[in-house]
Amino acid sequence: MFLAADFLDRETALRALVDLKANGFTPTDLAVFSDEPIELPRSVLHRPSHMSLAAVTGAITSGLLTIGFVYFTQYNYPIVTGGMPTFSFWATGVIFYELTMFGAIVTTFYWFLRESGLMRRRRHRAPAPVVEPGVISLRIECPSDRADAARHSLESTGAVNVRTIGDAG
Amino acid sequence: MATATEVIPYGEVRRDLWRPLAGASSRYLVALVVLSSLTCWGLCAWGYQLHKGIGVAGIRRPVFWGFYLVDFVFWIGISHAGTLISAILRLTEADWRKPVTRAAEAITVFALMIGAMFPIIHLGRAWLFFWLVPYPNSRLLWPNFRSPLLWDVTAIGTYLTGSTIYLFLPLIPDVAQLAVRANGWRRRLYRMLSLGWTGSDQQWHALERAMKLMAGIILAVAVSVHTVVAWDFSMAIAPMWHSSIFGPYFVVGAIFSGIAALLVVMSVIRKAMHLEPYLTPHHFNNLAKLLLLMSLLWLYFTVAENLTAWYGNEPKEMNVFGSRIRGHFAPYFWIMVFCNFIVPFVLLGIRRLRTIRTATIASVSVLIGMWLERFLIIIPTLSFGRLYATWGHYAPTWVEISITTATFAAMGVLYLLFSKLFPIVSVWEFEPHAEPED
Repeated sequence: MFLAADFLDRETALRALVDLKANGFTPTDLAVFSDEPIELPRSVLHRPSHMSLAAVTGAITSGLLTIGFVYFTQYNYPIVTGGMPTFSFWATGVIFYELTMFGAIVTTFYWFLRESGLMRRRRHRAPAPVVEPGVISLRIECPSDRADAARHSLESTGAVNVRTIGDAG
Repeated sequence: MATATEVIPYGEVRRDLWRPLAGASSRYLVALVVLSSLTCWGLCAWGYQLHKGIGVAGIRRPVFWGFYLVDFVFWIGISHAGTLISAILRLTEADWRKPVTRAAEAITVFALMIGAMFPIIHLGRAWLFFWLVPYPNSRLLWPNFRSPLLWDVTAIGTYLTGSTIYLFLPLIPDVAQLAVRANGWRRRLYRMLSLGWTGSDQQWHALERAMKLMAGIILAVAVSVHTVVAWDFSMAIAPMWHSSIFGPYFVVGAIFSGIAALLVVMSVIRKAMHLEPYLTPHHFNNLAKLLLLMSLLWLYFTVAENLTAWYGNEPKEMNVFGSRIRGHFAPYFWIMVFCNFIVPFVLLGIRRLRTIRTATIASVSVLIGMWLERFLIIIPTLSFGRLYATWGHYAPTWVEISITTATFAAMGVLYLLFSKLFPIVSVWEFEPHAEPED
């Protein structure tokens, strides 16, 4: 089941997160919703990311595929080069560079969609609370036997409008 | 100087920046009709060229590259306004960039779309444009990967893809908020574009990481794109083209004209959309100083390029050099120097004269000067070849002038439509938020 609670400022939301973590909830159980980016200390809610690594991998893959593609086509369908090498890094370097960067761009975008969960189908997404401007909402995924503990933790740290959301709500 | 975030409550910021999306004033409609008509006229001229053949344009031996290639280089240069400036400011965490970035990024995407059309218009038989795409043709040959034309295709394709994503990413939170409040087709459009954005911390983190990465990547691509455009010329062993500084010279020129275009657009939207509290004299002052710096850099490169040619005294280069400095093209050359150096230096260099109005005047002057610079790079070299017998002159026809005019109108139309659909200033970036504690 999913619980949601609203906070009017960042500090109370932070207190609630610390309290929930002390009660055994993990970062994967918790999600903070807001209409603006909220910086949270790593110790409270760390979201590891592999986006940079993915971008570099995408760039290298795309670059190698481009080299292979150009090499293959120039040797299999050779053009008259007037005695110059059939395949030349110098003359085709610009294409390798541009398509390497293209790989980095496309992979970054793909990884953004993946890490943000925007690629998931709607029915596979966890329910999201409606966020009013200026309000910070906290969603907790918990088994029903721990719902009371979570609710107590939220209310004691200053949450308003603690409610159940999703199908059970 | 206080920025809008410090003096205006966020609720008001949102109201102010969303207001231009609702309704359309009579002035907006008149501007849209006039600019659309000019764009349609340009399309008709292109249709006429497609029907009659490329002969209706003024390009003929020895000047095979005319207005279309001048426009191509000019618009690709303008495209450096947005993404490059936005990426530099984002990476350096310049706080004053917030109201400027989206306006700049939109210029990039539209200018690239317009610029990328010109090689196709220039082809004459535009319906064969797909010959530029690497695929085996009817003779089982692949297009030549060594050709700078194919370099252009990959460079512009990569830059357009990156710029579009770079414009789209920070739009997502804004369109998600708009989707909640809009009705009808707008709601459907915004919901589709928001991709199911909920504003979770995971999404915000992913967005910020992606924006930082994209800023770094796009910087490298932007520099390479205009260098590749420069190499279209410098790889040819033609007088005044075969120069090793052409790459950086073009990049500097592109950033110079890009900043000028951004200042003009900012000045117009500030007035038309009543964004005075957001686009303040502070923003114009910063960009004006950047424009002045680029003007000096442009002068340095122009002197370096011309002085080297003059000192070398190679007859084939001196023919082109002479035609620019004191011959047939001299009026254009000196107007270019006046527009690109004298006007910005006087209006922006003297602190008392540096206002929003003078920054706009200097920017318009730079745009005229930079278009002339592109013209002077392309036409004189082709007009004064190595053999005297092949010399000739170029005169544009009404078809080329119509298509050139239409591209400026098309830029206006695209911008007008964009500003009616999306907030021209990124709303969510105005919300102040605390720095991480560890």
